Amino acid sequence: MFVQLLFALSALLTVGCAIAVAVTKNIMHSCIFLLGSLLGIAGLYATLGADFVAVTQIMVYVGGVVILMLFAVMLTGGKDFVSRAQNLLGLAPAMGNKWTYAIGLLVGLVVLLTNVKLIMNISKAYPAKVFGNDFPSTVNQIGHLLIKEHVLAFELSSVLLLGALVGAAIIARPRKQG
Amino acid sequence: MNQTLVSYLSQYEFYDVLLAVFGKNEGLLAFTIYLLAALAIVGLCATIGGLGTYAERKISADLQQRMGPNRVGPYGLLQFLADGVKMMTKEDIMPFTADKFLFYLAPMLALIGVFATLAVLPWSSGFMMADLNVGVFYLIAISSLVGVSVFLGGYASNSKWSMLGGMRGASQIISYEIPVTISILAITLLSGGMSFGTILSHQQGTPVNWFIFHNPFAFVAFFVYAIGALAETNRAPFDLPEAESELVSGYHTEYTGMRFGFFALAEYIEVFVVCGVGAALFLGGGNLPFNLDIDIIPLQFAQVVIFMTKALLLYYVVIWVRWTLPRLRVDQLMSICWKYLTPIAIVNLMGCAIWLVVFNGKSMADLIFGSH
Repeated sequence: MFVQLLFALSALLTVGCAIAVAVTKNIMHSCIFLLGSLLGIAGLYATLGADFVAVTQIMVYVGGVVILMLFAVMLTGGKDFVSRAQNLLGLAPAMGNKWTYAIGLLVGLVVLLTNVKLIMNISKAYPAKVFGNDFPSTVNQIGHLLIKEHVLAFELSSVLLLGALVGAAIIARPRKQG
Repeated sequence: MNQTLVSYLSQYEFYDVLLAVFGKNEGLLAFTIYLLAALAIVGLCATIGGLGTYAERKISADLQQRMGPNRVGPYGLLQFLADGVKMMTKEDIMPFTADKFLFYLAPMLALIGVFATLAVLPWSSGFMMADLNVGVFYLIAISSLVGVSVFLGGYASNSKWSMLGGMRGASQIISYEIPVTISILAITLLSGGMSFGTILSHQQGTPVNWFIFHNPFAFVAFFVYAIGALAETNRAPFDLPEAESELVSGYHTEYTGMRFGFFALAEYIEVFVVCGVGAALFLGGGNLPFNLDIDIIPLQFAQVVIFMTKALLLYYVVIWVRWTLPRLRVDQLMSICWKYLTPIAIVNLMGCAIWLVVFNGKSMADLIFGSH
């Protein structure tokens, strides 16, 4: 009962805020709705019993990515960005002709059907079934998987992140004149 | 698996009586218990936040040889209630060019972020709303909503003071999150779990078993955590987002009435939460200084008292520091975080890991007094 309620609320938050992100004309408001949508996704993870992933979602997206986006918007934006409408109804001609719209609609339908199929399975899964092994919590399980089976991917992604950090520092460093 | 307040209470006999009263409806009973506990904790914390403003004024008055508030109630104790009434009856002003939606949203987000952390705050070994197995991690993650709210409050006011304060606040909060998180990670390493229950169960008994005395690195980590926590809650000497001598009042310059009150309340409760987390992680939390094999409700209340004492002592230190040290400059703030605290925190983390390997997980007390 509680799990279904949590799922319904999270799904509503996710989808509603995602629509609001696309519809609203103010880019700052879009960022905030995105925050709501990402929180909803964290709620969906929690519904599935993946508490660690849910909290990581909040940590990474709410604590990091959304603030970063807000910063980026404020440091780069001007008045034009706020007032320009981004809708499909003729105001943004560069978005495509009838063929691109048709293909987009088809792709959208396929993605929608796939998602519906996935969600049908998700709503049947209960958290109790996720723990079918001898780990006391998901944290231990994820730790074991990361260090034992997926250690190569784990280390490679850390190298990738380090590379991104160093690259950002090099790009942002003050250039010496002459 | 996750422990909760309800699963703790269900081991007592009166739970069965209550269950019978609720007609064997476990879901309804759990909901009622959670609702009552949530109301109690939020009420308690709001009172602590209110009394925090009183304590702040009284202690600052002591430090500056003044009297402080002494008119409303005995020793001026009811001053915060009078302030609350004043704030609620004040006109709610919004700047004409403000972003209405975000302006209304920002104080709410601040309060939501702070109140959500109360769900995992370990009042005692049994009285926790939920002892999540990602407890500390959840607390760090959800409190980042406060950073978003500071930033939004600054942006939505459409005023230059607010804007500068909001920018400073956001950059400060996300910068200082790194040394704080790494310090907490060191404790996670020592206890082998992220839930407050696990962390507290490793610190039972006399104070030598507290994690702050586990090894020299953990001792340093506590101070890194304390400094970082001061900065994360925007307290002096890191109160650059407010900086009343340069930015009027920083990110909440344009807020009046209860909306300003929300920001102030959120700040004071966050300070309490941060102190409580520091007490639980490093200072043994609510553990009694002796080992008892029985677990009865009065002992739980004793634990609550011990936890509150430790947290409020830290709260006193926070206020004391605020009225003793001058404010930092922005560049000093950033260099302290990135050039000093973060490397120290990383060295602490590696030191704790090496200590665990070399001494086979024993603490300093185990090595000196012999393992038990």
